[in-house]
Amino acid sequence: MASKNILVKVNSLTRIFDVSKPWLNRILEREKKQFLRAVDDVSFSIIEGESFALVGESGSGKSTVAKMVVGLLDPTKGSIIIDNIDISDKNKKEELRKLRAEIQMIFQDPFASLNPRWRVDKIIAEPLKSFKLEKSEKQISARVDELLSLVGLDASDGRKFPHEFSGGQRQRICIARALASKPKFIVCDEPTSALDVSVQAQILNLMRDLQDEFGLTFLFISHDLSVVRHMANHVGVMYLGRIVEIANPKVLFENPQHPYTRMLLDAIPDLEMSNKERKPIEGEIPNPIDPPSGCTFHPRCPYADEECKIKIPAPINIKGIMVACHGVARGRIPAKQ
Amino acid sequence: MFTKIIENFQRARNSDFLYSFTKSPVAIISFFISLALILGAIFAPFIAPHDPFNPATLNLMNGFSAPMQPNEFTGEIFWLGTDDQGRDVFSTILFGMRISLFVGFAAVAFAMVLGVTLGLIAGYVGGWIDAAIMRIADVQLTFPGILVAMLIFGIVKGFTPIEQRDEMAIWVLIIAIGLSEWVQFARVVRGATLVEKNKEYVQAARLNGRSSTGIMLSHILPNVLGPVLVIATISLALAIIAEATLSFLGVGAPPTQPSLGTLIRIGQGFLFSGEWWIILFPALTLLMLALSVNLLGDWLRDVLNPKLR
Amino acid sequence: MSENILDVIDLSVEIPTRHNILKPVDGLNFNIKRGEILGVVGESGAGKSMAGNAIIGLLERPAHIADGEIWLNKKRIDNLPAESMRKIRGKEIGMIFQDPLTSLNPLLPIGEQLTETIIEHLKISKKEALDRAITLLEEVRIPAATQRINAYPHQFSGGMRQRVVIALALAAEPSLVIADEPTTALDVSVQAQIISVLKKICKERGTAIMLITHDMGVIAESADRVAVMYSGQIVEIGKTYNIIKKPRHPYTVGLMGSIPALKGDNERLVQIPGSMPRLNNIPPGCSFHPRCEKAFEPCYNKRPLLSKIGDSKVACWLYDEGYKNG
Repeated sequence: MASKNILVKVNSLTRIFDVSKPWLNRILEREKKQFLRAVDDVSFSIIEGESFALVGESGSGKSTVAKMVVGLLDPTKGSIIIDNIDISDKNKKEELRKLRAEIQMIFQDPFASLNPRWRVDKIIAEPLKSFKLEKSEKQISARVDELLSLVGLDASDGRKFPHEFSGGQRQRICIARALASKPKFIVCDEPTSALDVSVQAQILNLMRDLQDEFGLTFLFISHDLSVVRHMANHVGVMYLGRIVEIANPKVLFENPQHPYTRMLLDAIPDLEMSNKERKPIEGEIPNPIDPPSGCTFHPRCPYADEECKIKIPAPINIKGIMVACHGVARGRIPAKQ
Repeated sequence: MFTKIIENFQRARNSDFLYSFTKSPVAIISFFISLALILGAIFAPFIAPHDPFNPATLNLMNGFSAPMQPNEFTGEIFWLGTDDQGRDVFSTILFGMRISLFVGFAAVAFAMVLGVTLGLIAGYVGGWIDAAIMRIADVQLTFPGILVAMLIFGIVKGFTPIEQRDEMAIWVLIIAIGLSEWVQFARVVRGATLVEKNKEYVQAARLNGRSSTGIMLSHILPNVLGPVLVIATISLALAIIAEATLSFLGVGAPPTQPSLGTLIRIGQGFLFSGEWWIILFPALTLLMLALSVNLLGDWLRDVLNPKLR
Repeated sequence: MSENILDVIDLSVEIPTRHNILKPVDGLNFNIKRGEILGVVGESGAGKSMAGNAIIGLLERPAHIADGEIWLNKKRIDNLPAESMRKIRGKEIGMIFQDPLTSLNPLLPIGEQLTETIIEHLKISKKEALDRAITLLEEVRIPAATQRINAYPHQFSGGMRQRVVIALALAAEPSLVIADEPTTALDVSVQAQIISVLKKICKERGTAIMLITHDMGVIAESADRVAVMYSGQIVEIGKTYNIIKKPRHPYTVGLMGSIPALKGDNERLVQIPGSMPRLNNIPPGCSFHPRCEKAFEPCYNKRPLLSKIGDSKVACWLYDEGYKNG
């Protein structure tokens, strides 16, 4: 607790996709090139040993952020610094190679994330061989057995093929593979959204146990607010490629600032059965190719005024809460009952 | 080791693949006809009652014997008759199939290696490399395969010395047919690669520092082989027919090494003079061979495509 | 007063394979009243979708109804020939699936699809049908319905498409709607909108709704009663409040505990060990016993039946008088 060492720092990350039609169609249909700002000026940092979650609805750009942070996708603008190394710095080849082994990812679809033609032991051994972490075949197989038991599987499961396992067990295999290279930082892209709730609980518990045991740092991507609240130390809420609010999950759930966060929280089904009256949700997420001007949430926002239509709100910091909203900045928005 | 064999055997016995085979009479019949023809070709020197290419054993007096009838001069009986030079048609068919099947298998293997490699590269690397490979494929598809084969055949023939032409002919055939069939492999593999490369296990391999070549060979290739197998089977039938066509046109296997196509070409000269067997039996063999291999390929496609089940 | 729209009695579905016979649905008993939403909740492989498909007669061969009866409006429908069943679907039972695109024809404007269905089942003129179509679209809260009646499905967002599907399911004023995971593919905010539309039509039209979902949250928001399914059987059925607040079956207890809470501390989640058994490997007795902490002697070989405990019905030996104290 004493040293709050920042492990991951993301600065003004932006990613623009070219979603234009093919050249010939554009000429014939007299259309301009079209660009999609999937991620727009996103900044956050993650403290070593903590979990940071990005939450948002489909099209909010959260998975694109994840892909850029692990290096599967190059950012259009901005920088990602992990363990004090800028991952886009091509001059530090040797350091990047070492860093590579320290960053791992757990994917959403436990069926697509394991090669169906490989046995489980080979799947888990892949990082060990690729990063040359163990010398002999014997050491590799010992390490694979260790990893299997770490995630609650049996050493004999290593001889099986992925199709012989259920979704939850496959996700355990994915976790074992991610742990093989002894990473510091794991990006989890919707790790439980393809699983049933009872299995989700097993996986979430396992991930928290492993985090405690190895001091792992997580970037957690999810659309499920209850999962995010359970797992994260800090939550960033994304809307149309931007982070609108960052806060501690308890603060966020009890006292959401941004009108979008409020709307999102209002939409979660209430298992308390308190029959509370809630505001009906207005509208839908606009087309991200042609987003609204100014604050992109303004067409759906009950508190929007002229300023919101013109100017993109800059993030401000109120008592440890980062929020990007003109209304909050000007004190125009009433506190939540 | 032994338990592993038993394990694999039990897996095979329980597999849907074998089950669907035993439930398909067409597949069973096609399989056994293909197998019989292939075995016949392989063991031709042991099965064939005569050696049609050894002039010492040929007797011109046996020429034009009708099937199953004693020759009027020598009294010998030939099951499927003889040709003008007294060669036993049954034996020439067995030896002819050897050439046909060899050319077919070799051409498909060549087309497969070329097509799969180019398809993998095009699909995985993408960009202008993909565009270049696929445009070449498109251009090639605008010519009928047989024309492409004839063109290549003609060009290569022009470069080989006359005394080596007969020897080279078979290899030229293989390359010509192979080059006309790689496009199918490349297209299918490229499509499958595009699907596989976006799957998360490939992304995981990238994160784990695997090289592109490593990912293509160890991850993607095994997962795109299913459709390749289907195309290979159907291509085999096509290659055999293409070889026969080329040989029939006289640009294929030379008379010193006659294939089924060459036999048909020789036989057609006698069609109107009443010696029908010289052409009929090689033609029937070609038909059976191509049909059974093709039906087998069709069945394979249905089995390997879960959507059609 | 409230009459039963749907009565399902001892319904079993079987799938013969070359090795054995699978039983994805095994002895279901439940009913749905007029104007009631019955939530059918369960994890993947529980047989909830299979049960829905059996009721609407859309089982894919070789799956078939092996046993039991299905009564719709006091009329037995499980033994009807395919042709009469086709007429009942759409007319008397409406259907909503997870992916709205499977229910919509991409080549026809939505208005045309709606009027076609209306005319086929209600035998009214084209003009009247068009008016009805617009009313329906307004009823499912599609803004500017009159203008959008000529739009094609791809011109709508996912949430709007699902509304069109709901309108389509309601076109012939069915007395029962079967909604199979209607909100699973949608974002939370859109999900909330769809749930409120379903509740509204249930209240205003008195339609009975069978809402199949894996999401307890959706159930809590919408259903009057819940049936919890586990490996083809109902393990607990009762009022939504009772099931969520006072679950009795150990599976329901585990299921509720495994959902991360939105209040309080982030305690370790309750987890049920293992996973739902595969269909070819359903344990004898109570099929939950290998995962159940409280399993005792009768659970291993005797199958518990649903019996009334308080306001709910539970299938568990823990609540059986004969075993309670022994």
